[in-house]
Parts: sequence; structure tokens; C-alpha cells
Amino acid sequence: MQIVLRRIIQLIFVLAGICIVTFLLVHMVPGDPARVIAGDRASPETIEAIRQRFGLDRPLWQQFVTYAGNLFAGDIGQSMRYKRPVVALIGQYIWPTLFLTGYVICLAVPPSVALAIASARRPGSLADQLIRCIGIAGMAIPVFWLGIMMSRFFGVGLGWFPVSGYGKTFADHLHHLFLPALSTAIWMVPVLVQSLRAALIEKAAADFVVAARAQGAGEREIFWRTVLPNAMLPTLNLFGVLVAFLIGGTIIVETVYAVPGLGTLMVNSLLARDYQVVQGLTLMFAVTTVAVTFVVDLVSAAIDPRARL
Amino acid sequence: MNGPLAPSVMAGRPLLDIADVSVTFGNTRVLKNVSFQIMPGEIVGIAGESGSGKSTICRAAMGLLPSTAEVTGEVCFDDQALQGLGEAEWMKLRGRDMAMIFQNPASHLNPLQKVGKQIAQPMIRHLGLSGSEARERAVKLLEDVGIREPAMRAKSYPHELSGGMKQRVMIAAAISCAPRLLIADEPTTALDVTVQAKILELLKDLNRQRGLAIALISHDLGVLADICSRIIVMRHGQIVEQGEAGQIIDAPQHPYTRLLVDSQPGRKQFKAGWAQTEETPLLQVEGLRVLFPAKRDIVDIFRNRKAMPFAALDGVDLAVSAGETVGIVGESGSGKSTLARTIIRQNRAASGTVKLGGRPIERLAGRELLELRRRVQMVFQNPYDSLNPRMTALETIAEPIWRHGMADRREALNQASKLLDMVELPAALGERKPRQLSGGQCQRVGIARALALQPQVLIADEITSALDVTTQAQILELLARLRRERALTLIYISHDLSVVSSFCQRVYVFRSGRIVEQGAAAKVLTNPQEAYTQELVASLHRLPGHVVERENIER
Repeated sequence: MQIVLRRIIQLIFVLAGICIVTFLLVHMVPGDPARVIAGDRASPETIEAIRQRFGLDRPLWQQFVTYAGNLFAGDIGQSMRYKRPVVALIGQYIWPTLFLTGYVICLAVPPSVALAIASARRPGSLADQLIRCIGIAGMAIPVFWLGIMMSRFFGVGLGWFPVSGYGKTFADHLHHLFLPALSTAIWMVPVLVQSLRAALIEKAAADFVVAARAQGAGEREIFWRTVLPNAMLPTLNLFGVLVAFLIGGTIIVETVYAVPGLGTLMVNSLLARDYQVVQGLTLMFAVTTVAVTFVVDLVSAAIDPRARL
Repeated sequence: MNGPLAPSVMAGRPLLDIADVSVTFGNTRVLKNVSFQIMPGEIVGIAGESGSGKSTICRAAMGLLPSTAEVTGEVCFDDQALQGLGEAEWMKLRGRDMAMIFQNPASHLNPLQKVGKQIAQPMIRHLGLSGSEARERAVKLLEDVGIREPAMRAKSYPHELSGGMKQRVMIAAAISCAPRLLIADEPTTALDVTVQAKILELLKDLNRQRGLAIALISHDLGVLADICSRIIVMRHGQIVEQGEAGQIIDAPQHPYTRLLVDSQPGRKQFKAGWAQTEETPLLQVEGLRVLFPAKRDIVDIFRNRKAMPFAALDGVDLAVSAGETVGIVGESGSGKSTLARTIIRQNRAASGTVKLGGRPIERLAGRELLELRRRVQMVFQNPYDSLNPRMTALETIAEPIWRHGMADRREALNQASKLLDMVELPAALGERKPRQLSGGQCQRVGIARALALQPQVLIADEITSALDVTTQAQILELLARLRRERALTLIYISHDLSVVSSFCQRVYVFRSGRIVEQGAAAKVLTNPQEAYTQELVASLHRLPGHVVERENIER
């Protein structure tokens, strides 16, 4: 419990760092931030108004105090394009992304574990070679290309799945997001398989496995009780990185399938130079990454006593 | 200490009967027609150097060789033939009737499970105990193998225990189902000497109290002579000699056994180097303290908690005269290597000073620091890790010469080949890279590299502890010759008191960063004053005479 508390306190400092960086992000854009926010064709009056409104004429530290204060109140700015608070926007767009992320995890994890075990059981066997070859192909195919092909084939051609949108009910969501989730999972599975396979092979030759065998443990027991838990640890960390990446990195697949998620919001806001939204999303992605890492650390510590130090 | 069991136990049927066993991996035959027997209740020692096949034969006996190994011959355990046993039959045998402990207890325990649970598992498996019953017995077993507060320790994870405790845990798991044969594969090699003595004592007790037969594998004849009734000597996958322990040690028949006996540390007294002439010592260490800062995370800073630095060296004074060989002895963590690293300025002193030729080295910079590096050279423990794997032996030796501007590259290579000759390596090996050389050859390259700069002081940090005994003896022979010829001042760091006492003129005994005893090497070994040194000396397993004496008493 002590360790959890310790990590949470450390987390607060990391989050404070993130806030400072995202705050400075706007000021690091070359030129006048007010002009950047206002856009190319704004009149000098508009720019001046924006400068006043966002307090850009005040000293930097004062601006930061205001920014941090707003953050605590849950206000991370206002969208120019949608004329709504960024928080509300994110609240609306986050659900398809979260659903998609969960969907990808559900589609990717079980086959990854199964394939890695099948592959590591007899390294160099035909099954192992096949799994690795197909895996490399899966990683090499760009997600957007696979997305386009699948929506053409299964969506437009066969009409099995809708090619865009998110739907209204849970079943609708499952139906609508199947293709985007699948095309992301096809990229993710080989990554996980590769990591887990290597760890399984390494741990299967570990000294403590020989010792367990010398104590009369059967191969099945050795695998499930000793090899697999030990091999999961490195893959778990990789998995955390992938999930954090998914939440912020579904931009491509969301664009291809027109899913109204954070990726779509990010692209639209960037194109419209809606900097407040971009800043808010950046902050959110950073916080998500930290949070996911935190959760992965806790799970690691639950499995591995050495991680509890 | 009790002697080996009397020969009367030897009557009757053998417990383990290995007849004409050969093992082949692909095209290499690692065991050739090995035959021996182990009687119930007997301790048999299997001696040999790395690659002699001593571990292979024991793993073959337990069916633990990888499936790529091809085994021929017959192995019988208690009249049951073990060839062609199925997985299920092996499972019934392993951990139940025959058990095994290993060299490195740290890597042989599952890091994710509490040790109590790991000890309980064989009992649940073989004796059909319930989980809670087995865990209760595990606590009792921990107590039996000499672990204090066993109930609390049963809830520990392996990384929370010391090396000696981990080996005790391994032993507890191995004896949990009351096996009749315990195979101990170098069980004390990775442990400090004082811990080693205690573990061997424990094995002896188990043998006496439970009639447990033990096959003890070791490269250390001293250890074997101390607790085994019979010794089997192996080389290149063959048994070269086997017989009663006393006979093997005192009247070895095979030349290799003789070499092995003669290579035991402490068997040979090396001639001293240079007579001391100068008044002021060449190297002086005064009140040296070296601190390593404790880790402090952001929460500690927040709470204003002071980091408690760890004192690796705490007020060390020592002096080394020119031409002298000084031994530094101590167990792991005693600060020996920190001292070496501080002398070559790899660690900074918190207080105190190191003087070379009367000048403090702490503030040296630029050209003077370079000169220090030239005058003090070091040879390291692991011969492979301390050589650049991409450079040939010659390049390795030549590099310091041209880097210090003592010669151009071509001339440096010339000098390097002379040095190669000096450390008794054939010129043909000069073109080889470290991984094409044996451990002993690599260490010779390391010595040649250190001597390339013609240093005044040579620091040898555990340079033989990764090597086989016969190789160790050869390296010591070489160093003894070099220090005579070159008037070297040598600081010899080792955990092995017997090597140090036979090789050095004076000894400093280190413990927890302090010097606990110092004096002439022979005196410290034969007449230790401090309790710690006495313990160190008592845990030595020395060959000469010992076994004979004890046999005489018993008969």
C-alpha cells in the first residue's frame, strides 16, 4: 500500500511537469501566439482582442498561474471552431476512442497469447515459422491501407459491415467498429507475439525451470505456474506502451473509417488551427500515457515482488 | 567435525549405479563410458574442472539433460533402470527419491513465489499434503536447515534473502520429501567462504541424521576431501581415478589427479619478490573513507529525509612498499574492490587520502593524472568482460602503449608480441579475439595489457576466481615470475585466504569496509588474532595431511 501512495505522489510531480510543458507549447510556436490563435487572415483588431482575452499581454508567470488555476477548475480552454469548452468536446469524442481501444485489446490479446505459446512451444518448427512470417507481414502492412482494403471488401463489396460511423447501441458499436478494431489488432498482434514468444523461450530455459523439473514438477505445471508468469512481465510493459499509444494513436484508423473519436477531433482541429483543442488533447494524451503506465506498474508489482521496492 | 562414514556402510546394494554411460550432443561426446556407484548413506565427491562432464553425469542420472542429448549405458536407481522412463515416471522419482541442488541458488528459485510456497510444492506433489499442511511443514524444514525466524522467512521472496539463505531454501525444498539421494552440483561455489563452511556442515548433518546419500560435485578438492568418503576425479568426460578420499589426496595415481592436488591453493609457497629497500612506502592509504550515496526519490526529498550514504570503505589505513606483494582478503561486500577502484581514481574518497610516491592522487589532473594511470595498472576478475571482444589479443595489448604515446602503432604491436611471449602465450594466439581464447589465456592477455605500460603498481582484483584450479595455479606461477623479473609492486585482492597467504608477504583482512587484521601472511593464516579472521581460517578446506589424520583417529 505504501508503494501505491509513493507512486501517486511521484505521479503528481510528473503531471505538474506535463502541465508546464503543454502550457509552454503554445508559446514555443514561432511568432506571436495571438496571431497563431487568430489565424492567417485575422485583422490587427482581432489579434489584439485575442491577446486581451487570453491574457497574452501579461507576463508569462501570470499567464501560467491563470492557466494552472483554470486547469484545477477543469477548464482547459475554449474551442474556436465548435464554440464549446474543450473539456466538453473531449467528453463527447472520447467514448468511440475508448470503445475502439477496448475492442482492439479484446481482439488482440487472446490470439497473441495463444500464438506466442504455439510459437514458443517448438521454436523453429513449421508452426513457429508460419506464425512469424505472417506476423511480419501483419506488421509491415500499413494500417491505413489495410483499413481501406477491408472497408472496400467487407464494407462496400460484401456489405457485411458499415464503412463509417459509430452507431447508437452497444451492439451497433460492436458492428460499426469491428473493421477498424480488426485492422489495428492485425498490426498489434505480431508485436505482442514477438515479445511474448522471445520471453517464453528465454524463461523456458531458465535455471528455476530446471530446478522445478528436478523437484518432480510436470511440464504442464512448469509452463503455467513458472514459465508463463515470468515471461509475461516484459510483455506487460510493452502492452502498456501500446495501449497508451492506441488512445492517442487511433488517428489514422479513425480517419479512414470516419469514427467520431479523439483522432478525428485532433485532425479536424489541427486543420482548422483550433489550437486550444490541440493543446487540450495534447494534455489529455500525456495524462493518459502517464495513467496507463501507472496502472501497468501496479499490475507488474502485483505479479513481481521485485517491482515493489 | 565428523569424518567420512566408515566403510561398513558400503556393504550391500548400490543406491545409484551408473554403468558405462556415454552422452553425445550432436557430434561431440561429452561423457565417455562413465561408471560409478553410490551406496546408501554415502557422500561421494565428484571432482573435475569446467567441461569435465561432472554436471552432465549427474543431470543424466536425473533425466534432466536436454532432449538433444543422446545417452547410452545404464543408470539404475535402487535397482530400477532409469532408461526410457516416461515423463510421469520421472516425475514420481524426481524430488521424491532423488533431489538436486545447484550452483547458483539465486537463479534456481522462482523469483515470483514466496520461498515457503516453493518448499511446499514438492510435498503437495509427492506426499499428497494439503496446501496448508505443506506450508506448515515448510516452516519446520526452514528451521531444520538453520534459518532463523522460519515462519517469517517462509513469507519472503527469493530476492529478500542472502545467497547462503537461498541455498538453504533450495536444500529445504530438496529434502522435503525425504529423498534417499541428494545431488549437489557445486552448491557452495557462488557463496562466501564462511557461508560455504556452514552449508557444507548442514549437508554433513543431513547425511548423518537422515542417512541421506549425497553426490557432491565440486572443483574444490579441499571441500571434497573434507566431507566425502570417496572421490571420483573426472577429466574430458572420463573418470580418470576414483577411490577413497584419503587415498586420492595422499597417493594420487593418475598424473591429472596429481596436478589437481598440487594446484590446490596454498599447496605451494611462492618465492618472495624484491627485498624492501626504500624507507617511504610507494603507496600509502590514510584514513580512507568512500561513500556511496543512498537512492533517494522525490518522496524522500519532499519529506526532507536525509539519504544515509553507505560507507564502502570506512577509515582504511595501509601502506605498500616498492617491490612488495600485499594481499587484500575479505568476503563480498567487504570493500576490497572499492579500495582498488579508489587507488586508480575510479571512485572518489569522501575523506582521507591515497598517496603514490608521497603525492596525493586526489587532485591530479591532465598530464599528471595520465601518469598515474600509467604507473598503476589493474587486472580484472572476469577475463572475458574486461577485454574488448572486437580486438585481437595483440591489438588489446598494444592499445595502451600507443594511446599513452610511448610508441607509434607499429612499434606498439612489436612490443605487444614481446609481451605476449612474456606471459607465455604462443604468438599464433595474438591474432585471436577474446571469445576464441580460454579463460586462462584471456587473463594472460589482461596481465600483458596491464604490464604494457611498465607500471610500478599492479592491482590484481580476484584475477583467478573465475578460473579452474589448475589454471589458477599457472596464472599465480606466471605472476610470481613476473614480479621477480620486473620488481613489481603487487596488490593482490582475493576472497581466498589460502592463495593470498601463499602468494603475498603481508595481508590485510577486510570486513565491512574496515581492516580487521593485518600482518605477515604466514602469521595471519597460522595464528589469526581476530575472531573474524579465525572464522575465515577455520572455513578453509585445506588438503595437506588432514584426511589422513582423521582416518587414523577413527580406526
